[in-house]
Amino acid sequence: MTLAIVIVIAAFLSLVLILRIAVSRSLQISASANLLTQIQPIDVEAFRNLVNATEDDYLRRRLSASHFREVRRARLRATSAYVRVAGRNAAVLVHLGESALSTGDPRIADAARILVNDALTLRRNATFVLIRIHIALAWPNAGLAAAPVIDGYGRLSSSAMLLGRLQNPATPIRLAVL
Amino acid sequence: MLQAHSLLWHYLWLAPHVLQVALAILLWQRGLHKLFPVFVAYTIFEAIEEFTLYGMDVLPWVTVDTFWRTFWVGLIIEGLVRFVLIGELCLHLLRPWPAVANLGNRLISFTGSVLVLLATLAAAYAPIDNPQYSLISRAHILQQTLYIVQCGLVLFLFLFAAYFRLAWNNRTFGIALGLGIVSCEHLATWAVMANGGLIDKRYLLDFLNMATYHVCVLVWFYYLLVPQKTRTKSVVPLPEHNLEIWNRELERLLQQ
Repeated sequence: MTLAIVIVIAAFLSLVLILRIAVSRSLQISASANLLTQIQPIDVEAFRNLVNATEDDYLRRRLSASHFREVRRARLRATSAYVRVAGRNAAVLVHLGESALSTGDPRIADAARILVNDALTLRRNATFVLIRIHIALAWPNAGLAAAPVIDGYGRLSSSAMLLGRLQNPATPIRLAVL
Repeated sequence: MLQAHSLLWHYLWLAPHVLQVALAILLWQRGLHKLFPVFVAYTIFEAIEEFTLYGMDVLPWVTVDTFWRTFWVGLIIEGLVRFVLIGELCLHLLRPWPAVANLGNRLISFTGSVLVLLATLAAAYAPIDNPQYSLISRAHILQQTLYIVQCGLVLFLFLFAAYFRLAWNNRTFGIALGLGIVSCEHLATWAVMANGGLIDKRYLLDFLNMATYHVCVLVWFYYLLVPQKTRTKSVVPLPEHNLEIWNRELERLLQQ
């Protein structure tokens, strides 16, 4: 009977999750007008600096092994914060792009499709990079490939700007602090 | 009222499947069978299966053994059709987005494999509570096994879509929602039955199963046939303009 109780609890939790996602989906639909306020601009330069392998090599040469691990972990935590924001921005842009998909203008629909695909790629890459960051936090001497996130973010910004231009030429989307 | 062969019992067994026949006809008339061929096939199969089982249950000359053997055959086919239906939902959800389609397909295959393993373990630990009618106990265990995998896969679809903020098409969402509710509730009840729980009050679990299925058929009706409100697509007021600098700077970053 213990097994049955475990399965019943799992089934109940699954049902709650599914219903919660269903409810949040309908709430998202009605709240799509506030999407842009959810975008947090990112200082891409600082982000790029944090994931620069040359910087890491320099720090490795200059610092003692224990001090390097400490500094590296701090840099990784900061990188993780940037990647999280990039991933969240990507999720917002997926939603934004999807809401622009069914507009009558084929140029806007095309731009929206590109934006959603780029945002999904970035969200996927951000997830993978976050996993690698957590592994690297355990082994700070291991390398970290965050390039897909930076490149993805660049492509995403271009797509978002294109969509912004097409939707409203006067006021495009701003994704980074420069 | 809450007894086998009561009026409510007859209604709950038959009504959802009568509605399913009507749903299948309406979907066919509206050409939606081309969009959701597996769902339409599932709807028709489910109705035929349940009408057959209902007939066998009320006809006095049908033996218990024959009923459960038919139940077994129906269960296996229904299980297969439902997995293909989940595949259809997955296709509808991921096909428009190549950026995550490959990842989604790999993850759902992996999740399916893990769930099959877990379901097999759960089946191995489930007791055969009535050796004289092991066919019934084994049918309950098979139900539990199928629903562990099915419920897990549907939950995976919901979580994957929520994580990537993938927009469900309303109809696909409705099918998935109904299937999700049925899967979770049926998993719980069949797990209780498979593990020997509530032996004297199993008719209550049957009522719960039938009532939930009825609700889910209504969910499918609503999402598939009731015209959905079109979302108003107002141009989002965008923040201040800094496109030129943005573009120049990003291109510089990308070329580094």
